[in-house]
Amino acid sequence: MDARRISVVLAMVVMYIAVPLLLGSNLYVMSLLVASIAIGGVALAWALLGNLGGMVSFGHAAFFGVGSYVSALLTMKLGVPVFAAMLLGGVGAAVASIAMLPTLRLKGPYFALAILAYAQIFRILATEWKSVTGGSGGLSSIPRLPEIAGFDFGSKIGNYLVIVSIVLIFALIYQRIRASHYGTALRAMHDSEDATRVVGVNSTLLKAMMLFVSAFMTGVIGAFNAHYINFLEPDYGFSGLWSTLPIVAAIFGGYRTILGPVIGAVFVYLVDQLVFKSFIPSGHQIMLGALLAGMVLFSPTGLLPWIVEKFKRSRNAPA
Amino acid sequence: MLQLENVTVRFGGVTAVDNLTLSIGASEVTGLVGPNGAGKTTLFNAISGLVRPGAGRIVFNAVDVLNAPVYRRARLGLGRTFQVPQPLSRLTVRENLLVAQRFGTGSVNASRLDEILDFVGLTEKAGRDASSELALSELKALEVGKALATNPKLLLLDEVLAGLETTGKRRFMQMLKDMHAKFGVGILIIEHDIETISNLCKRVVVLNFGELIADGAPDEVFRDAEVIKSYTGAEHA
Ligand SMILES: Nc1ncnc2c1ncn2[C@@H]1O[C@H](COP(=O)(O)OP(=O)(O)OP(=O)(O)O)[C@@H](O)[C@H]1O
Ligand SMILES: [Mg+2]
Repeated sequence: MDARRISVVLAMVVMYIAVPLLLGSNLYVMSLLVASIAIGGVALAWALLGNLGGMVSFGHAAFFGVGSYVSALLTMKLGVPVFAAMLLGGVGAAVASIAMLPTLRLKGPYFALAILAYAQIFRILATEWKSVTGGSGGLSSIPRLPEIAGFDFGSKIGNYLVIVSIVLIFALIYQRIRASHYGTALRAMHDSEDATRVVGVNSTLLKAMMLFVSAFMTGVIGAFNAHYINFLEPDYGFSGLWSTLPIVAAIFGGYRTILGPVIGAVFVYLVDQLVFKSFIPSGHQIMLGALLAGMVLFSPTGLLPWIVEKFKRSRNAPA
Repeated sequence: MLQLENVTVRFGGVTAVDNLTLSIGASEVTGLVGPNGAGKTTLFNAISGLVRPGAGRIVFNAVDVLNAPVYRRARLGLGRTFQVPQPLSRLTVRENLLVAQRFGTGSVNASRLDEILDFVGLTEKAGRDASSELALSELKALEVGKALATNPKLLLLDEVLAGLETTGKRRFMQMLKDMHAKFGVGILIIEHDIETISNLCKRVVVLNFGELIADGAPDEVFRDAEVIKSYTGAEHA
């Protein structure tokens, strides 16, 4: 068995058995893990858009918020089952991203600015459309995750297992796209768009598909979060933090890799909550900037590539 | 196979292609010549869809492609190379052809891919990084290979022979001749060297300031006073 397989099996054992067994009774730690893995999922979706679609987004809060509102409202107003509503939350976010398609024509900073403004539009919509969203007062008593076949997905361990599984499935999807012919074409597209088009690649469609996939994933995680904390208001659901934290996490962990953003999110979030917050109770997020700058100086490609490199070297080193 | 009717392309004040009408038959090898800045590359860009003509019609195999996106024209059978080679970066040589084949034809045929790699002489370089590990002649071969992998009916070659040394050029010319026979593909080739054009083509068209000024057999066209003047005039300019 090669090292890669072993590490996958080990990681699965840790995530699905060791963590629930060892930490499952510690509600505080479990809540930190759930929150950080959720951010990690958004970070993964953000990195997918960047790596495969070639787009740097500052607007993922919009997808997160749309997903959370769609799912919360579907369960509360129409009685849709929670897991189905979460998927539809993802679909809602993907649909919302259609409005962003015109921005795909923009390049670099213009795209970044357009998508930033776009995120605000949805926050305003959620605030002003009071009859549906409850306005700035928000929505409370959003249904929790259900109990199915005797297992309570709404428990701390249940929530944890759900978000871990969601993020793992997303990682698999990401990996499959990247390894496909579409992934190859997308890789080529960023630097040689005309050359890819003249051999028959519909580059606009491929980029749009990556936007849909990324928005869908982010929406599902936003939906999960709504059913996890059972409360939603526009300033929270569309908070700029849902855009910035994933970016910090992805770059910190290694945005070129699939799992780097998730590992980065767990690391950054835990350090932020356990260390920075105790020193600087308000405005502790500012330390994240310093943390990120430190990582970029230390290892420009991020944490995961650094670990992999270390691991390889220690195995190849003469005894 | 390809009909251009009154095609005009302007860039600001410059008329790069001026009211051009031209028809290219199936599986012909046609030369396209003209001085620097005559509008040859712009004409290719208009045919492949990278620039939109301000006026005119472009019909390919009875399909009006004037408003068709670039990728659809490629799938219809319009292949092209770039004057400055544009390998698909971050990919290997083989992946370059693979993307072209997969998206240009809709499916992957590995043995045909290998055949094309072999035909353009890149079998040994198949695993190399296309954007950083190839010599100019290999980049030019890759341009042709990519285009061939889309299974084109008409191939637009933009100065593929320029910059090659004598033996490389001779080999490449033989390849173009074989290609015409083996893949049954029509060729429209831009080339400055008159001897090369005479050797390859039965027909040559001449552009000057975006206008078509001559069209016919090479030996006649290159005797034409206006053609000679456009060339020497440009050289002295
Ligand atoms: N994208 C563009 N924007 C503005 N002007 C352009 C553009 N592309 C070409 N031109 C102009 O159009 C004219 C025709 O250029 P083109 O590249 O088609 O000539 P060419 O015949 O291919 O020349 P060469 O033999 O040097 O390759 C030139 O005056 C050129 O400056
Ligand atoms: Mg040119």
